[in-house]
Amino acid sequence: MTTRRQFLQTAGAATGLLLTFRWTPAAEADGNAASQALAPNGWLRIGPDGSVELTVGKSEIGQGVRTSLTMILAEELGARWSAVSVRQASPGPEFQRLGTGGSGSVMWGWANLRLAGAQAREMLLTVAARRWGVPLADCEATDGVVRHAASGRSAAFGELAVEAGGLPAPVAPALRPLRSGGILGSRRVRVDARAIADGSAIYGVDVRRPGQLYASIERPPTIGGRLLGYDAAAVRRLPGVVDVVQIPEGIAVIATNSWQAMSARSRLEARWDPGPHAAFDSRDFTAELRQAATRPGVVTRRDGRGTDDLGALPHRLEAIYEYPFFAHAALEPMNATALVERDAAGERCTLWVPTQTPNGVQSRVAERLGIALERVEVQVTLSGGGFGRRLHWDYALEAASVARAAPGRPVQVLWTRSDDYRHGYFQSASAHRLVAGWDDNGTPRAWGHRKVSALHNARGGAPTAEELADPIYLRDSSWGVYDVPYAIANLQTEYVPRPTHVPIGPWRAVYAPSSIFARECFVDELAVALRADPIELRLRLLAGPSTLAAGDLRIDRARLRKLLEALRERSGWGAALPAGRGRGVACEVYDGDTHVGYVAEVTVEPGPTGRIRVDRLIAVIDAGLVVNPSGAEQQVDSGVAWSLSSLFGGAVEFREGRATAANFNDVPVLRCAGMPAVEAHFMPDDRERPFGLGEPTVATVVPAVLNAVFAASGRRIRRLPVANG
Amino acid sequence: MRSVEINGRRHSVDAPDEMPLLWVLRDLLGFTGTKYGCGAGQCGACSVLEDGRAVRSCQLPLAATAGHGYVTVEALDTHAAGRALRQAWLELDVAQCGYCQPGFLIAAADLIARRPQPTDAEIDGAFAAHLCRCGTYPRLRQAVRLAAATLRSTTVAPGS
Repeated sequence: MTTRRQFLQTAGAATGLLLTFRWTPAAEADGNAASQALAPNGWLRIGPDGSVELTVGKSEIGQGVRTSLTMILAEELGARWSAVSVRQASPGPEFQRLGTGGSGSVMWGWANLRLAGAQAREMLLTVAARRWGVPLADCEATDGVVRHAASGRSAAFGELAVEAGGLPAPVAPALRPLRSGGILGSRRVRVDARAIADGSAIYGVDVRRPGQLYASIERPPTIGGRLLGYDAAAVRRLPGVVDVVQIPEGIAVIATNSWQAMSARSRLEARWDPGPHAAFDSRDFTAELRQAATRPGVVTRRDGRGTDDLGALPHRLEAIYEYPFFAHAALEPMNATALVERDAAGERCTLWVPTQTPNGVQSRVAERLGIALERVEVQVTLSGGGFGRRLHWDYALEAASVARAAPGRPVQVLWTRSDDYRHGYFQSASAHRLVAGWDDNGTPRAWGHRKVSALHNARGGAPTAEELADPIYLRDSSWGVYDVPYAIANLQTEYVPRPTHVPIGPWRAVYAPSSIFARECFVDELAVALRADPIELRLRLLAGPSTLAAGDLRIDRARLRKLLEALRERSGWGAALPAGRGRGVACEVYDGDTHVGYVAEVTVEPGPTGRIRVDRLIAVIDAGLVVNPSGAEQQVDSGVAWSLSSLFGGAVEFREGRATAANFNDVPVLRCAGMPAVEAHFMPDDRERPFGLGEPTVATVVPAVLNAVFAASGRRIRRLPVANG
Repeated sequence: MRSVEINGRRHSVDAPDEMPLLWVLRDLLGFTGTKYGCGAGQCGACSVLEDGRAVRSCQLPLAATAGHGYVTVEALDTHAAGRALRQAWLELDVAQCGYCQPGFLIAAADLIARRPQPTDAEIDGAFAAHLCRCGTYPRLRQAVRLAAATLRSTTVAPGS
């Protein structure tokens, strides 16, 4: 029997994710019971016992993807929810482009999973219809059972699975019409919730293999520092220490447990050449950004006459907004466990990694060890937060190098919290210069937004010189700047790339947070100058043509307008507030898809630095079809918490080429008492598909809060973070 | 060789006196539900119950565990409060990435044992030195209130 494969590929979001479905007929079954099962592809398996197993290549980093993707599949298939389980895919020939980022998992998984579910369902229905001698169209699959209503016959999926596995997969099965009352749109507790609550959930740090060793790595204290020497002999004699090895990233102490590895590491007395970035001070960089904001940049969008005629307008406003460096500070520190073994064909490496980029880990480890791709196996664990940090493979490379020094023994490399702050890939600091001009009628006639920042390159390394001069590259790296939805006849956006010594990487909401902070606060400044209500002004500026083409994005102004109207109503926008309290608003269209707006309510104590308390945040979101309302609301809570952490003190400073932060108390993150009440409202779906939520809920929180601070106190804050003691 | 009581059972461990209980639990005894987050008592992920009170296991040397009994997240269901908390956590779908949740569950177990009807301020207080990067705080508060209410409505015979 020949193997028939059908590849259905869908190119993904910004990170370039690709889902590959591989179809394998059951004829490959080797005769044992477990494989006598319908396995129409590498993603979905239905067993003779009726179990439905979905293999997903998306990493669970807290966003609930293992639950929402399973829901999409289960609904289309007609599975019983309790019979569905989810397995984590590993890179391999069937899974060549695994990756989690850009809030794209649900958005891009939607069509693929529905198709897979519909194919499997039609195969099950075909078997049942043949057995009963009835038309397929009269059979239906619900709750894990195929039924023929007229005759009252029914068969559980498990009874049909083996025979269905022998059928060819239909190429274009009918998709189930969207309905209410099914699995989609119902509140589902995340599939890992029980394991999380009883402590049995396995994150990267929880991997325990026979004979496992533990390692802690001393790395250069400064960015780009170089090792001069260390005291290996003394450390080798310390209790629990198995070995001390030098790897490209630093010196690894391998011990029988993490604590002894960390303790021994502190006795290495390593000497370092501070390297080429030793003079770097983030205060200098901030000043440099501010300075650069006064000079022209690469034009990323120009409507009408841009800002050419600004000087001729009777009324003008200008402001500079400043944004610092931020770390991800995921609660589970970076870690990876690796096992290097040798057989007749040479070395092979198995890794257990909390990662957003399993294939990236696989190929880079193969490269590091100089072995073939298929000699590297990557098992993806749960991640204790990701936020973009786990799109880098640095910690997996370390584990592979260390494990090579202890062949046959799995070695877990665990970072300390200080390691995490000192060796991050940070959200870049940036400066934004905004200008606006209006005529005597109060109509804005010109808008300019120039962003000055360092850029990350998710593919690894810094952007190339060509990229840094390319208006398209810079445009696509400036969400929140060039895609400004407001209809102003003359508009110009610019980018001034400013390389920095600090390693830069994707952070939650990628390019949007600093840009949306600046843009939406500046719109508020404009509203104040025009004596206009901030929601009214936005509605007015969104009244132009309902669709705006900005680069590759299509911005739906009418949709954003509708959302703002809903937000005005839901937030009780016009209602009076006592003195010292205020409301603020901000909105955006995230990467062209998810429309989001927040109204914040704050209380500000008197005085120029009066303490700010965020009382309440009301979100209205149009993310299309909401797969799991429980998970969607969590993403709103999460976006709020993430943003407030950045607003009040979460920034990272650099002195003499190193991050000054060593632990959480150095960069205050939001604690329970600082969390406001959060209300999330989702617009009714009229697009019949879901869009992302993990990132889109983030960027508008900060400007909504700061605009509320202005309303409450008259304080205009243009620089983050805000000391709030 | 030292002996430490975890979840009602005594375990012999061959480890230095100053080794924090966190690493004894995680690397020597296999109780990986207790998490490492900061190693400095700042995040609460490593919390365990010591004779019913929440403590930071990353700050607790093995030598100081003598004479005490410890409960980790794995065994929370052996207590009525722990069962109510687990149930509330599931009912309200509290966890996101989940990494910090064992620490919060332990802190909550301590709190509702002392305060059968905790106020929001008391909940915030119990969680003051805990940290969640995903922002589960609103549901954490709700779940603690729900678990406390469940516990109050459950008649527990003395000594059971």
